[in-house]
Amino acid sequence: MEVTRQSMDVDIVCVGFGPATGGFLTTLARALVDEAGQPVVESRVMPGMPPQVLCYERADDLGFGVSGVVTRARGIRASFPELDPAEIPMAHPVAHEKVLYLQDPIGASRRSTGVNLLDKLVSGGRWLLRYEDHAAELPYTPGFLRKDGGLLLSIGQFNQWVAAQLMGSGLVQLWPGMPVAEPLIENNAVIGVRLVDQGTDRLGNPDAGYLPGMDVRAALTVVGDGPIGPVGRKLDEHFGLPPGHHQRDWAVGMKMLVELPQGCPLEPGTVLHTIGYPEPEIFGYLYVYPGGTASLGIFVPSWLDSPVRNSYRYLQHWMMHPALWRYLRGGRMRSWGAKSLQESGLQGEPYLAGDGYARIGEGSGSTNVLTGSGVDEAWTTGTQLAEGVIELLRAGQPFTRENLEKAYVARRRGSWVEKEGRAAEHARDGFQRGILTGFMGMGLTGLSGGRLNLSGSSRPPHERVPSLVDYYRGQLSPETIEEVRRECTSAGTGLHEQLMERSGWPEIPYDGQLLVSHQDALLMGGKVQAPPGYADHVVFLSSDLCQRCQEKLCIEICSGQAITPGGDGGVPQFDREKCIHCGACVWNCTQARLDDPEHANIEFRAGAGGLHSAEN
Amino acid sequence: METVLYLTHTESDGSLGKPALEALSAALQLAQELDGAPPLTIGLIGGEVQAAADALAGCGAGRFMGVAGAELAVSRYSSDAAAAAALVEAAQPTLVVAAATSRFSRALPGVCQRVGGRIDTQVTELQVVDTEPRIERWYYRQRMAATLTRSQRPWFLLLAGGAFPAWEGEAGTAEVEAVPVDMPETRTRVVGTQSASADAHTIRPEADLLFVAGAGWTKKQVDGQPHVTEAEQCIREFVDAAQASLGSSKSLVDQGGEGQQVLSFMSHLHQVGQTGTTPRHRKGLATCCHGEEPHVVGWRFITERRAINLDAGCGWGQGKADVLYVADAFDVMTKVNELLGES
Amino acid sequence: MSSGFHLVVCGSLVPDPLQTLEPVTGPAGPALKNEMMLPSVLDPWAGHALYEAAHLAESAPDSKVWLVSLGPKARLQQLMMSIAQKVPFELVALDGSAGGFTDPTEVAAVLANAVQGIAGLERDRLLLFGGCASASRDAGATMQMVGERLGITEQFLAVDELTVECDGSLKVLERIEGAQYQISVCAGPPAVLAWATGNLPEPPNNPQVGMVNMRSVMPALQRAQPAPVAAEGVKFLDVTVPRQQRDTRIVRDMPVDEIARELVDWIRG
Repeated sequence: MEVTRQSMDVDIVCVGFGPATGGFLTTLARALVDEAGQPVVESRVMPGMPPQVLCYERADDLGFGVSGVVTRARGIRASFPELDPAEIPMAHPVAHEKVLYLQDPIGASRRSTGVNLLDKLVSGGRWLLRYEDHAAELPYTPGFLRKDGGLLLSIGQFNQWVAAQLMGSGLVQLWPGMPVAEPLIENNAVIGVRLVDQGTDRLGNPDAGYLPGMDVRAALTVVGDGPIGPVGRKLDEHFGLPPGHHQRDWAVGMKMLVELPQGCPLEPGTVLHTIGYPEPEIFGYLYVYPGGTASLGIFVPSWLDSPVRNSYRYLQHWMMHPALWRYLRGGRMRSWGAKSLQESGLQGEPYLAGDGYARIGEGSGSTNVLTGSGVDEAWTTGTQLAEGVIELLRAGQPFTRENLEKAYVARRRGSWVEKEGRAAEHARDGFQRGILTGFMGMGLTGLSGGRLNLSGSSRPPHERVPSLVDYYRGQLSPETIEEVRRECTSAGTGLHEQLMERSGWPEIPYDGQLLVSHQDALLMGGKVQAPPGYADHVVFLSSDLCQRCQEKLCIEICSGQAITPGGDGGVPQFDREKCIHCGACVWNCTQARLDDPEHANIEFRAGAGGLHSAEN
Repeated sequence: METVLYLTHTESDGSLGKPALEALSAALQLAQELDGAPPLTIGLIGGEVQAAADALAGCGAGRFMGVAGAELAVSRYSSDAAAAAALVEAAQPTLVVAAATSRFSRALPGVCQRVGGRIDTQVTELQVVDTEPRIERWYYRQRMAATLTRSQRPWFLLLAGGAFPAWEGEAGTAEVEAVPVDMPETRTRVVGTQSASADAHTIRPEADLLFVAGAGWTKKQVDGQPHVTEAEQCIREFVDAAQASLGSSKSLVDQGGEGQQVLSFMSHLHQVGQTGTTPRHRKGLATCCHGEEPHVVGWRFITERRAINLDAGCGWGQGKADVLYVADAFDVMTKVNELLGES
Repeated sequence: MSSGFHLVVCGSLVPDPLQTLEPVTGPAGPALKNEMMLPSVLDPWAGHALYEAAHLAESAPDSKVWLVSLGPKARLQQLMMSIAQKVPFELVALDGSAGGFTDPTEVAAVLANAVQGIAGLERDRLLLFGGCASASRDAGATMQMVGERLGITEQFLAVDELTVECDGSLKVLERIEGAQYQISVCAGPPAVLAWATGNLPEPPNNPQVGMVNMRSVMPALQRAQPAPVAAEGVKFLDVTVPRQQRDTRIVRDMPVDEIARELVDWIRG
């Protein structure tokens, strides 16, 4: 059926409102008018007016998610030289930082011989280290991890703060609740974006109140929709990645905002990094904000080779580690959320610019995988693009690939983001060969400034996730696994709770406050917004592949329990009302597409809503 | 010195409704506890008010005043406001107590404005501490209760239904002072009433049991298919058999607007919770409903609560119900209907 | 006379209903903990009123919708980003508290004042819309007071349906006791209609509507006058969140027949 779409012409359209777009728009808006409020450059679509700049954000509000970060904030401070952290709710200067190596106090963690040896060394050397509650404090925090002079931020609050100023300027328009379906590509040039269709059924067919997504045509499309954004991913599909690049390394960051119990001795500005537990591959963090709250969470990486990896359950075990539980017991979950992190860094960098478009932020490979820093880098790439765009606007030059390469990409290449990203490029390669090699590799890269690295070649998930039988060999019999599978499929749940408990992980003693069921975290920690009339955005492409899949890791990893076993054990079911848009299903699918082995069988399309965390 | 005026309107048959009698007992108590306050003044509004006044003759009120007339036989802002304002001006009270009926909820805030007073609604408790009247009222859709007092007079208090015992007492003959009122010209004609639902299954204040149907009833069942027709039948059968009041969660009634297959007899009028009603029943049974906080705030005044849900981790299991049965509500309710049908 | 209506909708923001609310006592009386950080939404009933107004304006040519919003300017700005995409309106912003502990009399005064200040508003075309109560103060009193201040004595509360009849009169369905509607016919504007849910679904986000609204929204926010509202004369002695935590008995693995029997006994008991 031919549909008539509305079409609108603007000057610049941005996709996704995160730190990168925040940096872009902040820098751009300041340059659009002079002190008298007169346009410095003129709109091409509305002559006499300043350029029409729009940004569309998928979520129902700006700064909707829970996300604590610690950042050196160099780029952010460069944009706001007078920045007073007190202006931004929950912001606080970094005060103390330490790294804890967590041992396994319950014996359920899967520790390789090497890690066991490390545990022994740590236990043996406890008189040398500060050792308490099954945790050793590293004698010093390596420079590459330190965030001296940096800030603790809630990204939700920071984004809202930035957005308020941008909207107040009246020079840019920010539209939440409006997902962008795809880029409009003509003759290999991006000429704008198409907004998502509204009033459709789950399959995307027109239904009551059908409103075809509008085409927003722009001279420049700024793509800042993050690592799982549909526009960025479509561009990668169309243009491919630069030779030698890949986006195979990922992590789920699952986070909470916790009201610390009365009398908790942690001071605002405290930063704890943890390694070693609940599985050695899982990193954790705890940042203390003013007012007795803390942001905490873990990162479950794609190189944790478990066919039942699940972030929520691991997060609970991590919180209950004695070294953390002493601070958290009696605390209360105030907010919760999760997101995927692109961990390939520069190795995952797409083409940064082309005719009519530019990429910024995490989806453009800006995250520094050595320092674990992404927000400041993302912000900075946005400001770099804005500086380039202003130059081109003033010179009246078109947004061609060549011009954007000169004005933006060259700026980025010459900056600290690139220099440090380059040094960090291979920092995590060692993890491909094992956790200890990974730690050593990171250390080597960090201490040598990237001159020395341990190698390891990245593999897509389907090549590395072992089968359940192999993973539990020696612990659980194939019959037991089959029995659990039958039970869970008929109950419509994932396998990890049962399998973890049968392999030594203790049950979680729910306290209704901080330790609550996964479903309750969805209720207490926020609210999934799933406005009606949109198509399902998680799509299982080939039912044959799902039928064949034994692991169904998509079900286990799903941060919102939105993916559950299908009726016949084949294609899983997807419930849009529970999806928090973390995107973990995309990179946890273990079934490679037959025609494109670099990608798996789940497509993550544009969808409205997502988790609106209780507090951001 | 405080003086209390109790305002009431008659029902269409000239009698007084239960909310009016509840508000009366609260007003009497208040006047009594206010040291030195004269006995309560009663102000009546209606087509005819003598019968209603007579019904209250034994309550110990010091004075009966009334405004009657054909215009006041129906509920309408302009006429009700004129009548109530006339009564307040004639009685010159410091405190005005009335039931939060739909009629007074519409009229009295404007009257309060007209006579330069202040108003509090959602009042569930009245007390006097050291000659100071204090009230408890609710904010944020029953999520917070505040105890407060205020300095301005006259102070209008609209009392929530079900919060006070209904007055019971001897009827007699009351002498009603007719208060003159200039009826304003009205541009509104009351045509009548109509049932809000095509179905008789609604929230029925007199029922002992509230039955809440959640969105789960329309979702896919164990065989992977939704069974909406069966769900409708099961629910109707139960509500009839148990003489229960029928409520729903927001997500169930919202589905109508989302083009999903829905229970045909459910509308937003059934919705219990933050953006719905807060009914009062002794018992409540929730089915296929997750028990999220915004819904459960509507259960504030349900004393005994049970729920059936497949998810043991649902809200009801977290201290929101007395009993949670982890089971398939389709199966359980079918069996319940069978048992209710047998007797 | 033109047939169109001048529809003024009073409505502002309330905390997202899913948030956990906790009262705190500040120097100016009670407030919500983290009030400025709680995600907020358009007050649901006022939202229905707005959508009904837009719907009516669409069907009656030469109509116009204004939205009068009282709230902290920064929060209003954020709210507008979502609702300005829904339906066309012109914003009248008032910079003051949108909290629940303000007095309806004070709120009504600033709202009525703002309505009177709308340039070009014609009283004989005026339909004043709002929610039947807010989800914050939850008083159900403000709209009547605004109407009273504007001298409008045709008022309706908890409206679910408004039909414009052929002769221009307004047929109104109000929710009353016993799951009934009262049907009234009002000769025409001016009138106050405080809405319950109405019958319209939330409109989809329309980018073009957003673009058009934005031309008036930002200037309106910049013009927003301070509108201090409080609860003068009120002494809050205590504000609490009632604890209703029960000791839930969770019954697992009980056969269906047994559950049914237990329930029937309980229902009859």
